[in-house]
Amino acid sequence: MTRIQGGLINRDKKLNFTFNGTSYQGFEGDTLASALLANGVQLVGRSFKYHRPRGIYTAGSEEPNALVELGTGARLEPNTRATVVELFEGLSAKSQNHMGSLERDLLAVNDLMSPFLAAGFYYKTFMWPRVFWEKVYEPIIRKAAGLGSLSMLPDPDSYDRGFLHPDLLVIGGGAAGLMAALTAARAGAEVVIADEDSRLGGRLLSEGGMIDDAPALDWVACVLDELSSMTNVKLMARTTVFGAYDHGIFGAVERVSEHLADGGGKVRQTYWRITAKQTILASGATERHIPFADNDRPGIMMAGAMRSYANRWAVTPQRDNKAPVAIFTNNDDGHRTAMTLVEKGVPVLGVVDARANASSFGEYETFANATVTGSHGRKGLSSIEVTRKGSAQWLECGALGVSGGWNPNVHLASHHRGRPVWNEDKLTFVPDNNAPKGMLIAGAARGNGSTREALADGVLIAKQALMALGITPVSAAVPVAGEEASAIEAFWHVPAKKRAWVDFQNDVTVKDIKLAHQENMRPVEHLKRWTTLGMATDQGKTSNVTALAVMAELSSQTIPETGTTIFRPPYTPVSMGVLGGGDTGANFRPHRLTPTDTFAKSQGAVFTEVGQWMRAQYFPQEGETHWRQSVDREALAVRSSVGICDVTTLGKIDVQGKDAGEFLHRVYANMMGTLKEGMVRYGLMLREDGKLYDDGTCARLGENHYVVTTTTANAGIVFQRMEFARQCLWPDLDVTLISTTDAWAQFAIAGPNSRKLLERVMDDMDISNEAFPFMACRATTVCGGLRARLFRISFSGELAFELAVPARYGNALMERLLNLGKDLNATPYGTEALGVLRIEKGHSTGNELTGQTTAAMIGLGKMVSAKKDSIGSIMSRREGLANETLRLVGFEPIDSNQPVVTGSHLINLGDPVDLEHDQGWITSAAYSPHVGSSIGLGYLQNGDQRMGEEIVAANPLEGQSVRVRVVSAHFVDPKGERLRD
Amino acid sequence: MTDLTPITALGASAPRSQDFGAYTLRENSALALVSLAIARCATPPTPFGLTLPSAGCCTTHADYTAFWTSPDQWMITAENLGETDFAATVQNEVPDARLTEQTDGWVAFDITAETDGQIGAVLSRVANLPLIDLTPGKAVRTGFDHMSIFLVRRSERHVTVIVMRTLAVTLWHALETILQRLGDTK
Repeated sequence: MTRIQGGLINRDKKLNFTFNGTSYQGFEGDTLASALLANGVQLVGRSFKYHRPRGIYTAGSEEPNALVELGTGARLEPNTRATVVELFEGLSAKSQNHMGSLERDLLAVNDLMSPFLAAGFYYKTFMWPRVFWEKVYEPIIRKAAGLGSLSMLPDPDSYDRGFLHPDLLVIGGGAAGLMAALTAARAGAEVVIADEDSRLGGRLLSEGGMIDDAPALDWVACVLDELSSMTNVKLMARTTVFGAYDHGIFGAVERVSEHLADGGGKVRQTYWRITAKQTILASGATERHIPFADNDRPGIMMAGAMRSYANRWAVTPQRDNKAPVAIFTNNDDGHRTAMTLVEKGVPVLGVVDARANASSFGEYETFANATVTGSHGRKGLSSIEVTRKGSAQWLECGALGVSGGWNPNVHLASHHRGRPVWNEDKLTFVPDNNAPKGMLIAGAARGNGSTREALADGVLIAKQALMALGITPVSAAVPVAGEEASAIEAFWHVPAKKRAWVDFQNDVTVKDIKLAHQENMRPVEHLKRWTTLGMATDQGKTSNVTALAVMAELSSQTIPETGTTIFRPPYTPVSMGVLGGGDTGANFRPHRLTPTDTFAKSQGAVFTEVGQWMRAQYFPQEGETHWRQSVDREALAVRSSVGICDVTTLGKIDVQGKDAGEFLHRVYANMMGTLKEGMVRYGLMLREDGKLYDDGTCARLGENHYVVTTTTANAGIVFQRMEFARQCLWPDLDVTLISTTDAWAQFAIAGPNSRKLLERVMDDMDISNEAFPFMACRATTVCGGLRARLFRISFSGELAFELAVPARYGNALMERLLNLGKDLNATPYGTEALGVLRIEKGHSTGNELTGQTTAAMIGLGKMVSAKKDSIGSIMSRREGLANETLRLVGFEPIDSNQPVVTGSHLINLGDPVDLEHDQGWITSAAYSPHVGSSIGLGYLQNGDQRMGEEIVAANPLEGQSVRVRVVSAHFVDPKGERLRD
Repeated sequence: MTDLTPITALGASAPRSQDFGAYTLRENSALALVSLAIARCATPPTPFGLTLPSAGCCTTHADYTAFWTSPDQWMITAENLGETDFAATVQNEVPDARLTEQTDGWVAFDITAETDGQIGAVLSRVANLPLIDLTPGKAVRTGFDHMSIFLVRRSERHVTVIVMRTLAVTLWHALETILQRLGDTK
């Protein structure tokens, strides 16, 4: 155990967890990483390519090494950073990317083969034989180089999403962020402050120190108390703002229950879409390391992380707490870690400082003008080689902290491609004035990293944000804090013959960068892709700048001359589940239920999805074992007596206004201005390009009142296009459009006995042929005063009516009609029979209206009136369309046992089955119980002139070839006598 | 009076109601709705004493509420008149207006909270809009879970969510999911 006194952990609450099957204990407040260190576990994983033993390197989300598989079963989560996993009772984690045990990884053989696995090796090797790449080489390389494994099971967790619209979004809850939030909130701004950590406080949680003559942690607590008490502030811990998008929108993921043992019955994560008027990026900074030979052993970590573990989690990083700890640095901040460790009673070997004139800040030895040039300890650091003035000595050492300076976390500032600029004084990239619009940057995120600077910056930047918001700041004193020493000298890596790692997560070394330089992959973009540097899940947070510096040195250029590095969203990995958010499975998308849904379910109907609608496809009856039996029965019932179908899904648009008639006259291709009150007319609508896009009916209920019906599929599109015409094409017309699709339950009552059945529910309306002829319509009442609309229209070709009542009465009306029609064998029918009936009648639907269809193709070319202007009418007469020769016709198989298959292409007898000889295709097909065989509709070249001809319907995909006869598309009542009866 | 028995949008004989901690979700099948439109440049009428509101707003007088739906167009709602021919009633009030029966075109779900400030948490999960646009007296049309909905903020503790009637089951499920999660954190 390497636990020490102090820390922000709750020692009264012990937590049991396992790592690779071994049980350990930690405390509430621990991360998995701190708890492992506290139990003396340094080795936690294997590296990506060489399978080198790796330990915990950082204490935050930038962690490149300590990636573990968390959880079990369907909740297995690979590549989880142990440094940000909050410990909970029963946590189960295991290491990843090894064959055999973590300690004896068989794939460590890769390390011996490292000379052959340098950067870009796979661009040059495995090139022959070519076919081996996909089936042999790539699978082997992927297996050897992969990280964690997937459970391959559906994600069992639930996710939520939400929206926030603050005046000010503060990203980061450290000294600068808290001070900015406080300043803005006190002035009255609506503030959201989000931090990826489980606690707000940022580095103050790791550093200690004093603010306003009190411990910094007390100051943090006071600020959080004040912010929590303000109704205009939303504090969001465990919330990572992962991306900056257009128009001030930020994506953020809140980890709601990942830190709870059983999830607490809560969602796992919430995806917040935050639209902020102003944003302050106070995301702090990430420490960088100094590559040296064999710098990747477990026990070597960032010096700042070492300080975090000591101060926040009361842990030291050695396996044995008597083993001394050393620091390797080029700056004053490294010494701060030494002072912290000395203060905590941890044995300190000393600080190896690359600077010539470095001296100690406390009771420890400083090796000035010295570097670390090697390390020993296969599975955990045992000694380091310190070289000073050419003289090397090996010193026993249980852990080494490395500090090469701090890089501002500019990530979100560069999500709109804003490039940071090099600051030679601070030896780092800082954000330029090119952050996303409305974003200001404060504190360490712009290089002002001392507590004093961060506090002052928080106030200063918040005031700027308030000014932009038009809110007057409230004057308040900046808290007083000490100024930490921060001198730094440029020192980027220790030259070595052995490998010195730059990017730990992708196993990229200084040698790889040299190779990239040698291969002329010198621009930073090439460097990244050639070596894969910075392309792992950590996006090179700890490596990119160092790599640039090494390349700059090799190129004899300055760092800014070499290039800059920017970042893309997401800042840290985001689960696909939370981006999907919300429901899966049956509730993945909305479903619209028809007014007779309850009835249909009670009848055991089989449903089909039609867009969002769930429609009854057919109603099986006892003894029916095949869907065709049900559909044939339903279709024959309509032809022989009467059937009832819920056709509510057809679009209904209420059109009113003194110019309603003129408006419809211009929308429909055929004459509509002459439609008389109380009558319905079939109509065609064209797109501007002259193609037919929908057909339906238009009923005139009153002088200035019409109801337009559309196909189910095009209900939304037709309404949208009519609105466009109303608002943009003819704003001078006085007309109002309202969708009433849902308001009215509408039923097709079809068949020779339809009138007889309907008469039983009509209150006092005469629906005889004389009083209510074909294509009549009227507002009426049924069933004792229920308001209704009746239309005499037919889709089946039979005598038929469509009756509409308020939707809440639809279910009851269906039941009433069936009850009253028992003696007539009144039969409910679904979409399948509906389709059979309309194919038998030769009516076109979506299958025929393909978007490339002209009115002439369905035999209605003459309906496009040349006497008026309407949308698409002129374009419909252009040469390309007017000369179209495809015509809708019917098809019957020569052998009545053969099927006609939708999608089959039509080929003249004896011609080869290819595109050159294509004569058209079958658009719709069904078995017709009326005809007694399969039948089809389709487009055939000059089809209207080829009646009786035999032709082949070829379906080469399924090896089918059926001889069919060209017939009229109207298999039933071609003269239309029945519907006028 | 018809002898047919109506059902609610959720397919039951009575409206559904469910408590979720501090929240209650209730189907209001007795709410009557009618769309009222006037000719361009006509003077807006004042049916039932309602001042027809501007965009993004709603006004209430007694049991009647009006909210803006588009230029020269509003939705008028009335409590407990869902079973009546509300369009005819409104037509008597404003003979020159264009009225479209909407009662069964939509379903209304009322969400009520026990205390002030609790509705905001619901709205933050429903609508991608600033809460300032959803304060009492506001009404908007917005998207939620791939559905187009109206949000009518009737009071600090009461919001009505209105969606196409055929989407009632889907909307109920979506709201139920939110309220269950929020209710659990009471």
